[in-house]
Amino acid sequence: MAFKALDPLLHSQLRLAVMSLLISVDRADFVFIKEKTGATAGNLSVQIDKLSTAGYISVTKGFEGKKPKTTCKATDKGIDAFEAYVKNIQAYLKP
Amino acid sequence: MEDKDLSPEESLQLINSMIGKARTRFTDNSFYYLLWGWLVIAACVLHYWFALEQVIENPSLAWLLMFVGAIVSMIYGARQGKKAKVSHYTDKLYMWLWISIGAAMVIVIINGQFLNFQMVPLMLMLAGVGTFVSGAMMRLKVLQFGAICLWAMSIFAFQLNEIDQLAAMAAGIAVGYLLPGYVMKSNYKKQSGI
Repeated sequence: MAFKALDPLLHSQLRLAVMSLLISVDRADFVFIKEKTGATAGNLSVQIDKLSTAGYISVTKGFEGKKPKTTCKATDKGIDAFEAYVKNIQAYLKP
Repeated sequence: MEDKDLSPEESLQLINSMIGKARTRFTDNSFYYLLWGWLVIAACVLHYWFALEQVIENPSLAWLLMFVGAIVSMIYGARQGKKAKVSHYTDKLYMWLWISIGAAMVIVIINGQFLNFQMVPLMLMLAGVGTFVSGAMMRLKVLQFGAICLWAMSIFAFQLNEIDQLAAMAAGIAVGYLLPGYVMKSNYKKQSGI
């Protein structure tokens, strides 16, 4: 059986962690994602930009009082890509 | 967490761990139960008093208090939504469930004359549906117990006249909304160590 190549955008620790979180919730803000992944703000910001550029997540920037607030949400394209990624991983793991 | 490549096993482990971290154990929705519980009881008492003492021509004007509930709920909901770091699918379902129940209640109210003004038992029945499903969603048995009390009061209220139905409604709401509301508030305080 030929294995399909894994989506390189998702096959990285931090981006996969971000997508897994966003798949499980309706939307989450940057601080929540940072707390749950334990990533640094700079690195997380870069990876979120990559996912957003690929159309896997949508990013909304706003304010909560005077503080800036960035909210992320998985898009339909992102959900499809994540499901395909999980299927491919399962195929790799099948005996 | 770094930006490194993963083996398939590590990928699955990471996905499981992140899904576990995203799960919430408890969302505090006690505010809505306490707000609506006390407002409905106040409206029942006012309606009862207006009708008994003939204070005003139309005693059902006491139910205008529900507009206060709707406005306060909308403002509170919008503020909480802005403040929240994360929004779960259950929060959205919970909101749509109660909007649907509210719409059904409005339909009952505007068609009261065709229902022989038997609105209180129907309101209790609808409140029971919302409370029972909310209890299942939040895994809170006390809410489901409250819903069963609301349904029991609905059955009982069908046997009563319009004025006595108000007492049944106040009693049903006290057990069906206020009791679970205070239990939820106390659970949340314990969980968050407040």
